Amino acid sequence: MAIYELDCMYEACPIPLLKVLKKLNDMKVGDILIIKTDHSCSIVNVVEWVEKQGHYIDYLETGEGEWEIYIEKAK
Amino acid sequence: MKDVKSKKPWPYWVGGILLGIINIIILFVTGKPWKITTAFLYIGAGFIELLGVDVKDWYYFNVYNNQLSLGKTFFNNELIVIIVAIIIGSFLSVLYHSEFKFKKIKSKRQFLAALIGGILMGYGTRLSFGCNIGAYFSAIPSFSVHGWVFGIFMFVGAWIGCKILFKYLL
Repeated sequence: MAIYELDCMYEACPIPLLKVLKKLNDMKVGDILIIKTDHSCSIVNVVEWVEKQGHYIDYLETGEGEWEIYIEKAK
Repeated sequence: MKDVKSKKPWPYWVGGILLGIINIIILFVTGKPWKITTAFLYIGAGFIELLGVDVKDWYYFNVYNNQLSLGKTFFNNELIVIIVAIIIGSFLSVLYHSEFKFKKIKSKRQFLAALIGGILMGYGTRLSFGCNIGAYFSAIPSFSVHGWVFGIFMFVGAWIGCKILFKYLL
């Protein structure tokens, strides 16, 4: 199991979602991806898309207007 | 520690319904469809006018009506009021959710991409007489075909844009 980090700070839609999509393609089942973002749309569209793909996802607000999104690749 | 789960953003459909209602109210109150980028045109033209250039002589304003009601100026019209209100509203909303922060420019590449993208978008809105608000969101409820044409090609453009982004820029 590997842990990857993705820096999406100061980036707006659709960059974070596309970066996640691209990164997930390179990951193995069980790998963890941590995304740092300050774009509030990301905690909606990234979360929705990843859930639809069947992976595990959760997020936490780590600062004012900053979030960390955690994804575990499930398949 | 704050309760993070209670700060979930509204789902898209709630925002969509609210925007629809507000769009109707704007049309009813101002008598004109809601537009965003035409306000940017007014701001730009207004500043150039302040520098002493008579923009009314320009080809664009001769071929196309500037759509200002009688007695309104580039800096004093409904569209300017609406964009100022949008900025104040967004500001209050991020303050309320304590999400306000200054965002930095990440890299030279991001800066250049944003600048070129902005110029292309601005130019495109003048060819199509509006952005996704003026030429799409305000056009379709008015039963105008151009809104549907704009909508189809907006999705085509977004699709091509995402492909280019995915392949070359990420």
